[in-house]
Amino acid sequence: MLSTITNLLETTILYSTPLILAALGGLFSERSGVINIGLEGLMTIGAFTSAVVAIHTGSPWIGLLAGMVAGVLLALIHAIATVTFKADQTVSGVAINFLAAGLSVYLVKALYDGAGQTPVVNSKFTDWAIPVLKDIPVLGKTIFNTSPITYIALIMVFVSYFVLYRTPFGMRLRAVGEHPHAAETAGVSVVKMRYIAVLISGALAAIGGASLSISIGSEFSATTVAGQGFIAIAALIFGKWKPFGVLGAAGFFGFSVALSLTGQVWGLTEYVPSEILTMLPYVLTILALAGFVGRANAPAAIGKLYEKGSR
Amino acid sequence: MIGKLNRNSTLFSSIISIVLGMLVGAIAMLLSGYNPISAYGALFNSVFGSASDMGETLRTITPLIFAGLAVALAFRTGMFNIGVEGQLIIGSMAAAFVGLKLELPPVVHAIVALVVGALAGAIWALIPGLLKAIRGVHEVIVCIMMNWIALFLSNYMVGKVLSNNSDSTEKIHPSASIRVDFLTDLFDGARVHLGLILAILTAIFVYVLLFKTKLGYELRAVGLNPDASEYAGMSVKRNIIFSMMISGGIAGLAGAVELLGTSEYLSINASLPGTGFDGIAVALLGANTPLGVVMSSMLFGGLFNGGSNMQYVAGVPFEVIRIVFAAIILFVAANFVKQLGSRKNRKKKGEKASA
Amino acid sequence: MQMKRWLGSLVAVSLVATLAVGCGGNNDKGTAKGDFSVGLVTDTGGLNDESFNQSANMGLQKAKNDLKVDVKAQESKKDDDYVPNLTRFAKDKRNLIWGVGFKFNKALPEVADKFKDSKFAIVDDNLGGKVPSNVVAVTFKDEEGSYLAGIAAGKTTKTNQVGFIGGITSPLVKKFEAGFTAGVKEANPKATVKAVYAESFTDATKGRSLAKSLYDGGADIVYHAAGGVGKGLFDEVKTRQAGKYWAIGVDMDQSRLAPEHTLTSMIKRVDVAVFEITKQAKEGTLKTGTEVNFGLKDEGVGLSKSSKVSPEVMKQVEEYKQKIIKGEITVPSK
Repeated sequence: MLSTITNLLETTILYSTPLILAALGGLFSERSGVINIGLEGLMTIGAFTSAVVAIHTGSPWIGLLAGMVAGVLLALIHAIATVTFKADQTVSGVAINFLAAGLSVYLVKALYDGAGQTPVVNSKFTDWAIPVLKDIPVLGKTIFNTSPITYIALIMVFVSYFVLYRTPFGMRLRAVGEHPHAAETAGVSVVKMRYIAVLISGALAAIGGASLSISIGSEFSATTVAGQGFIAIAALIFGKWKPFGVLGAAGFFGFSVALSLTGQVWGLTEYVPSEILTMLPYVLTILALAGFVGRANAPAAIGKLYEKGSR
Repeated sequence: MIGKLNRNSTLFSSIISIVLGMLVGAIAMLLSGYNPISAYGALFNSVFGSASDMGETLRTITPLIFAGLAVALAFRTGMFNIGVEGQLIIGSMAAAFVGLKLELPPVVHAIVALVVGALAGAIWALIPGLLKAIRGVHEVIVCIMMNWIALFLSNYMVGKVLSNNSDSTEKIHPSASIRVDFLTDLFDGARVHLGLILAILTAIFVYVLLFKTKLGYELRAVGLNPDASEYAGMSVKRNIIFSMMISGGIAGLAGAVELLGTSEYLSINASLPGTGFDGIAVALLGANTPLGVVMSSMLFGGLFNGGSNMQYVAGVPFEVIRIVFAAIILFVAANFVKQLGSRKNRKKKGEKASA
Repeated sequence: MQMKRWLGSLVAVSLVATLAVGCGGNNDKGTAKGDFSVGLVTDTGGLNDESFNQSANMGLQKAKNDLKVDVKAQESKKDDDYVPNLTRFAKDKRNLIWGVGFKFNKALPEVADKFKDSKFAIVDDNLGGKVPSNVVAVTFKDEEGSYLAGIAAGKTTKTNQVGFIGGITSPLVKKFEAGFTAGVKEANPKATVKAVYAESFTDATKGRSLAKSLYDGGADIVYHAAGGVGKGLFDEVKTRQAGKYWAIGVDMDQSRLAPEHTLTSMIKRVDVAVFEITKQAKEGTLKTGTEVNFGLKDEGVGLSKSSKVSPEVMKQVEEYKQKIIKGEITVPSK
């Protein structure tokens, strides 16, 4: 029984980690009023860069850092397009996805002699056991003995909450996303806040991508991210644009996946075909939304172009 | 979001945007040691080269027009239908079912398959529409989830219902096919089919619906300002549901057309086909207007089909095309050229004023 | 306004086109050179998928070097690309055109029907037994190789539990499962095989989760036939004690993914098949309109050379191999 729970929890964590990070990234951007449908692309570029740099430097930390830089640079394009040039935010996000998908695979081919994926990342993140805490039943083996990126993800939930709700910076950021004109009147630079928020989203989503290529997995290919950026967007909305909401939504989705996978090992496929069992997380998410969660209110100024002084 | 895109762009700036996009691609090629001139030569050769190349380009364009229209129509009502992908899969699945399991006379069979495909897509889109209207659940999440459910459902159906435990179904009955010899011969064997004509008709339908009917007026009004529309006596909920169903119907039709015309069989899919996501780009680049969608599909389809020829002839990885396309979208969306121009002008004016 | 803008775009595209073509654009459509030319189209996995496409390409390159034939390979991006990609080679008048993967089972006969002058070959599908007169269907007895992997696993397991991770449920993947299960049971009647399916060929995280569940559930050896999903299996086994937990690779020698933990790999010699068939086609001895089935006997399937299987077990594996070749054992494929 205990081992079953441990196993479920481990899989949940494995699945939730990239989602939490990417969704938190989306959170910063969207709370400032900039839709970020480009999370998939930001994750992709993060996964690619971290893998390549980790391979060539032998350090997952340098890889992670480089991945974040790449994520920030790509997000900068999104920020320039949407904030400065006032491009439609959804269009720009879609372009970011195309760009990242094209660029990363193109570079893999260019770097590794036409290969479809990077070599194996041997210097990847290994699990860290936290002294004392690791001996707690169930939790010890799962939450307190896991990849550094998972710790980063969990810590970032708290940090995001603190930054958004307990610091002047966070208040301004949220104000810019809800009432940009009022914020501007109060002396907050809407443009500056949105730039910062979008860049943070690039860094966080890139860490999420890196978790797929240098922590959970150990290579980058065209299918490394495979739609997780879009699931992260779903988790962001499901979590009602709140840090702990995101944690809950990503955790819920991860747990549903864990159920559908371990369900097979328990032998559920005797009764339900595995194709149907695989639908479980997606169906459960819809049911949860329809039954319990319901209406989600996006930040008021989301997606709206901001023109100084216009109303 | 709607229609704001490129409101004041000019002929000049879109030409420059495309050229700049290709320039970005050229730089990428140069940096990695490919010859951009021969690469682009190969690309255009295949777009305008032979009849069969042109035919394959048209075949690529067909589903893009449908997908783009589906996304654009929903956008007009303020709905982000990111679920075109799944509605398309379900449309294909339903059309395959009709094409394989029913025995009907020619023409009738094809029409029934198309209608059932469209209906299936509409029903698939009804779920996010209803949940949005009744429970206020954000359509984007439901659509994303429905995409994956559609994929697994379709794979299950291929193996367990539409074939005897196989990876793909048999070919559909010829009576359900929408390939016609006339078009195939015209394009030297390329798989151009009636779907292209249906796509154009659908574009006209969407135009008439949106701009010439009361329903269309309401759909757009709800998209522009839901509160005011409600106040004016329109039912926002009803319009949301209509919008999603029509959008899903078009997406379902896309899937049906692909199945009945291009592939003529259904097979297990390892991943989402991506046409729905391409449709988002097409719709937005086409400023959510039917004509814009058709035009941007042509650009998109031409680049994509030409891209594989570019890989064939010049050995340049296909991914360059994605980079080029992303750059074009960004340049057009950001109205880059026009804005640069006006900035310069403003600066000049400012200098004069201060002088 | 919209209209004007887009007409403008089209004018621009045509302009650039004319320019590009005009300034010495390369009009060479890759027309085949030499006496005998071969084209190869991959499925959506791409040329370097570390799986059957890559293996097929290795065979193609060997043919280029050893047989001095002209070769060219083309990747497919979508399932819709199969017909145009095959057609392109056919219009090039290539003598032999390969479609790699069962996904070509509708596209290849369709194109072959239009271009009777070329010969075609499909990998991994027998076209339902109806092979057109200018096509050869190349299939592999995956179940035989998997059976040997099962023997190795059954004799090596200490917990009497082994696992199998499949990609998307399909007859092709079931062949691997059936052969493997039969092998395990034959070698060790006490052992049980737990088979799970990821319903994906790409999601490595799913592979890792499934592997975790299988190992935690008591299995000490896990075999996979799940493409990219299987990468997750190696990621998981690497976190466990070497010499106690094992993974078995598929298609190619996968030991580089986890050198200390890879018991062996079931290799599928698509390269051998591509080379052999190409050679026969060049020499004019290729029989078309039929299925060619590569099994243990033809070295079409087998276990990898690099292996951590103990010598005693390896001896038994070898015995079973001979029995299958002699026809004393028929391995189930369903």
